[in-house]
Amino acid sequence: MTDRISFQDQINSNKAKSVFLMFAIIVAFIILGFVISKFLDPSYFFIIMIISIIFSLLYTVISYYNADKIALASVRAKPASREEHKMLFNSVENMALASGLPAPRIYVMDSSEINAFASGRDPKHAVICVTTGALEKLNKQELEGIIAHEMAHVANYDIRFMTLTAVLVGMVSIAAEIFLRSLWFSNNDRNSRGNAILMIIGILFAIIAPIAAQLVSLAISRRREYTADATGVKFTRYPPGLANALKKIKHEHVPAGESRKYPKAVAPLFISDPFKKKLTNLFSTHPPVDERIRRLEQM
Amino acid sequence: MLWWIIGIIAVFALIIFILYYNRFVILENRIDNSLAQIDVQLKKRADLVPNLLESVKGYMKHERAVIKEVTDARKALVGARNLPARAKAGAELQHALSGLFAIAENYPNLKANENFLHLQQELSAIEERIAYSRQYYNDSILSYNNTVESFPGVFFARLYGKSEKKMLEITAEERALPKVRF
Repeated sequence: MTDRISFQDQINSNKAKSVFLMFAIIVAFIILGFVISKFLDPSYFFIIMIISIIFSLLYTVISYYNADKIALASVRAKPASREEHKMLFNSVENMALASGLPAPRIYVMDSSEINAFASGRDPKHAVICVTTGALEKLNKQELEGIIAHEMAHVANYDIRFMTLTAVLVGMVSIAAEIFLRSLWFSNNDRNSRGNAILMIIGILFAIIAPIAAQLVSLAISRRREYTADATGVKFTRYPPGLANALKKIKHEHVPAGESRKYPKAVAPLFISDPFKKKLTNLFSTHPPVDERIRRLEQM
Repeated sequence: MLWWIIGIIAVFALIIFILYYNRFVILENRIDNSLAQIDVQLKKRADLVPNLLESVKGYMKHERAVIKEVTDARKALVGARNLPARAKAGAELQHALSGLFAIAENYPNLKANENFLHLQQELSAIEERIAYSRQYYNDSILSYNNTVESFPGVFFARLYGKSEKKMLEITAEERALPKVRF
């Protein structure tokens, strides 16, 4: 566990990034409020600004404490039962012991795809969610490999930053969408020149914001997956477990429409890309499965 | 000016001394905590054995030697005073239990007994947990030893009277790695 000390750097960086992210949420909301108030009517300026400041503060605080619940609710996960999911409980307890962390709460979501994610604000408030497909298709070693990968995310405080990112991405895309739609219904007969400029700024903001947020989260989450794979193997001491699970993920046939159960904003949280895109590019949430398997087999 | 510099250096030195002291405390607590985890599992295992023997009694009347071995190993585990002794006794109990489970294969009625099956699953889950707890214990020892032995930790270790610790060495309970299934 010598690496745990050097992982301290990663933990600190994750904590710092989380703070920065929450700050960014607040700023984004205030800018949005500013744009909207300029756009609507100057007399509402102060009211809208105050509302947007209060709202942004509330929003970040509430998301910080409830990010895991939001993520779980968005995929309709249910708490796992000890009797029904014995293997899952054993795997999670084993990995908690191997990592020296408190045992996280366990959830199961209904999907025939093999997948899992971890969430929460710190190891004490961590949750691990597994799909029913993973429980059906994986054997004990493979499941333990997946759980170890998720426990690695917990140990590294990836969960805090990743879940907050997911909430931010979701928020920006929803807010931007609302803003864009409201443009069609607003009246632009009064001082139309100023309005036109603001409208262009608004449109630009609405287009750029979600893309930027998405790019940030994606660029980071790909590197994180390799690190979590490596840390997870340190917990199981058995690289073939996770490697075989990834092979099963690669070869499984997912019925069409299954990916609709996964909201886009929470996709980066999962162990493998729920949308199973073949091409790796700037927008990929996950590193290619083949490369992950190759690295695991070299361990 | 000179006093300022001396003062700043003194404060920095103090902070480093405190940081290293806390580092040792954290690492030692981690070791103690992981030992406690192993102990919890060993106790659970000892608690389950009487139930297991009870469920086996009716079926395995003629296997006195095996049952005696398990009973004795459990007694040794319950009686062991310190943790290394308990860990050793726990490993022997595990060995005796696997002997019992091997023989149980010859008793189809016993294998169909739900209570027995449940206890068998519980005990094998405990075996896994002990193996993982031991792994974490050894990991904790390793990171402690690395801090104690490497520079500049070695300097502070001498200062605070810390020396390297031994890992648990019980080969009998090494987790049997599963065969890769294709």
